[in-house]
Amino acid sequence: MKRRAVTLPPPPPALSAPFRELLHALLARGVRLRGERTETARARRTALSQSGTFVGHRPYTRGDDLRRLDWAAYARSGEFFLKQLEQEERRSVTLWLDLSPRLAAGSPPRRLAAVRLAAVLGGLALRRLDGLTVLAPGHSPPVATFAGAADLDGLLRWLDSLPYSISAPDRGPELALQRSLPGRVHWLSDFARPKACERPLLALRRRGVKVTGWLPAIADDRGPVARGALRLVDPESGDELMVAVDDALAAELERQLATLARQQDRLFAQAGCRLVRWPVPAADDLRLEAWSAMLTEAAR
Amino acid sequence: MTLSTPWGLGWLALLPVLYWLSLPPRPRRFEFTAHFAEWQAALAALRRRPRQAGLRFVLLASALVAIALAAAGAAVPGRPGPQRLVVLLDRSASMLASAPAGSASARAAARLAAAFAALPEPVELTVLTIGDGLERRHGASARHLQDLPAPAGGLDVDLAALAAATATADTAVWTLTDGQGQRGLPTVGALTVLAARGDNAAVLAVVVQDQWPLPTLQVAVEVVGYTAAPAAAELLVEGSVEPVPPVPLQLAPGEVVTHTLQLVRQPAGGELRCRVRLPGDVLAADDGQTLWLPPLPAPRIAARSDGEAGPFVRAAAAALAAEVAGQVVAAGAGDDVGLLLVDGGRVLLTPGTQRVLTFGTALRADGELVAWREPRAIDWDRRSPLTAGLDLSELRLDTAWRGVLPDGEALLWAEHAGQRVPLAVVVGDERCASVHFAFRLQDGNLPLLPAFPQLLRRAFVRCYGAGAALRVLSAPPVVGELDLRTAAAAPDRALPSFATPEQDLAAWCVLAGLALLALRSCVR
Repeated sequence: MKRRAVTLPPPPPALSAPFRELLHALLARGVRLRGERTETARARRTALSQSGTFVGHRPYTRGDDLRRLDWAAYARSGEFFLKQLEQEERRSVTLWLDLSPRLAAGSPPRRLAAVRLAAVLGGLALRRLDGLTVLAPGHSPPVATFAGAADLDGLLRWLDSLPYSISAPDRGPELALQRSLPGRVHWLSDFARPKACERPLLALRRRGVKVTGWLPAIADDRGPVARGALRLVDPESGDELMVAVDDALAAELERQLATLARQQDRLFAQAGCRLVRWPVPAADDLRLEAWSAMLTEAAR
Repeated sequence: MTLSTPWGLGWLALLPVLYWLSLPPRPRRFEFTAHFAEWQAALAALRRRPRQAGLRFVLLASALVAIALAAAGAAVPGRPGPQRLVVLLDRSASMLASAPAGSASARAAARLAAAFAALPEPVELTVLTIGDGLERRHGASARHLQDLPAPAGGLDVDLAALAAATATADTAVWTLTDGQGQRGLPTVGALTVLAARGDNAAVLAVVVQDQWPLPTLQVAVEVVGYTAAPAAAELLVEGSVEPVPPVPLQLAPGEVVTHTLQLVRQPAGGELRCRVRLPGDVLAADDGQTLWLPPLPAPRIAARSDGEAGPFVRAAAAALAAEVAGQVVAAGAGDDVGLLLVDGGRVLLTPGTQRVLTFGTALRADGELVAWREPRAIDWDRRSPLTAGLDLSELRLDTAWRGVLPDGEALLWAEHAGQRVPLAVVVGDERCASVHFAFRLQDGNLPLLPAFPQLLRRAFVRCYGAGAALRVLSAPPVVGELDLRTAAAAPDRALPSFATPEQDLAAWCVLAGLALLALRSCVR
């Protein structure tokens, strides 16, 4: 087996202008992303007071406490806004992005779908929840926080700047637990090494963190897309294989990939978490309908 | 590397075709995969190995290169240098001189064997052995040193001139000598000097005065010693003679000493060895000489005569018996006698087959005898061994007989009608002879001449022919090979590097190509 230095293509420009238009359209559909209450104001969880320092507004989403509506803002704008006060219990989401070079695989690359998925989830969080934290182990800095709909552009810029980077899966929970990051964790990865994912997933679950795994499913996850000579490269290690893909090998690979899918499902099921296999639409398929299924999964 | 047919490299034009053929089947794609482990597991499950197209192409291309080189006649160029070697090997007698490391001859043979073993096979080899004659060996016979002659004789060849005349750009010369008997050593070609200096004594000559058929003989032995200082030596005389005690000799360097001995041989004859013994003598081959002494004859002399014969034949037999220390016996049929004397009459015998001395005897049954009165102008052969030195001028004959003499070598004759008519002949060869006279003893005054006993004795010796001759069994020493103190010397010179032929690599290239093809077939 050969091994050579791998030169990865630059991460694809995932957040182009047409996608931003799609993103705004998706966010405007009012889908509510489920957040988790923070631990910082646990004592006030049931309090009715609205004490605290006013720090801004956020749009109303279904389920919000009507008592926190800013009626004055409604009178000015005709839209419902909730006042956000410091020291208030916050509903937030953490996105954990896997920057592994493995995500360069696929056509379109899985990385393109992962970044776009992070943009949608992050946008929903900024639009509907109180805060968003993005973990990107391997990037510097590895943690970024965003709050409010106005931070959407900052989030998109930050996502577009993420490189490929190799880091151990343990690094994600380590970052999250060091900072007592709040909320639900959405882990975006290919989960191609289920055993390596087992320990960080259990570490988060032991702390009571709810984790949703997002696996942008590409065609390569089901089997070889064509027959013929194929030079395969592992983007992480640089290992190479020359294979002649025929029906027998395709069938065997499909069997191996089905086994991998079962291992991934078992991993999340044993941790009491949900794994969402999201069929990635084509790179240029920016129709709203193509992304609506993802919104449905995000709202669950 | 050289190419005899460079256009054979045109086969390399197939390389792009091979490269194209080695490409994997279309479509050929490159992909990153997140499921590398699954691909490996799938291949392992199907017991497939990853394709190694690059290695297969490299093996195939290497095979093509090897075959192209074979077609182009690839060869390793040869090395220039001499292609022939001529060895001048001194085989003179002095090469037998001993030294702590062995004789010069043995050391030369060892050096040659070692050098020939390392000599490249294509080098043409000639060995000239120079000693008792010049012999030439060539090819395999020379390479295996077959039948090298034993060192003997002198070195009659100027080695320096011979080496200079033989050496050319293509021919290397290697001279192996002890330097003995040469004014100077070769300055051309390789040289190996096998020195063996030391004291040497030699028997230069043995002078024998043989008194056969008498047992006595006189031997004068000439001895010379080449020593650094006067030395004591011993002369030993051994063999078929009565014992002689060792004779002490005092040898001065380079001076010849002659010692004379009176010896008595044994009747059976045999070898006579004269040898000088000098302590520290390095060359034993010239220390002695060997002679062969003939056996003494049977000393029985018989005489027969006709009725008219006088007493002369009896007297002659008695005189001869006294001369050769024999005895007169009666001549009977079947008796073994040393010599038969016949005077007159008729005896049927074949001349030259029996030791017979006849006087006026008819040898054939039908021969007609014609008397020849008073032959005149009698003369004899001055160079014949029988009559040389004898005075027969007083010989007078009353009657001689024509028709009694066989054909033979005339030693006595008379003038008749202006021609020489033989009166005595010798018939026979070196082994046996008979002497015949054309007159009876009583027909002249031959028995009364002083030369008669000597003539009888010589006739006796001549009848025995070579059986009475002394033979020398050993070769005389060569003067130039005796003094081992003054051999020429020079530093040794090594053999040059010989030419090596161009080595054809075509077969090896073909083999390598086939091996690479076989290896390629084993690589998926």
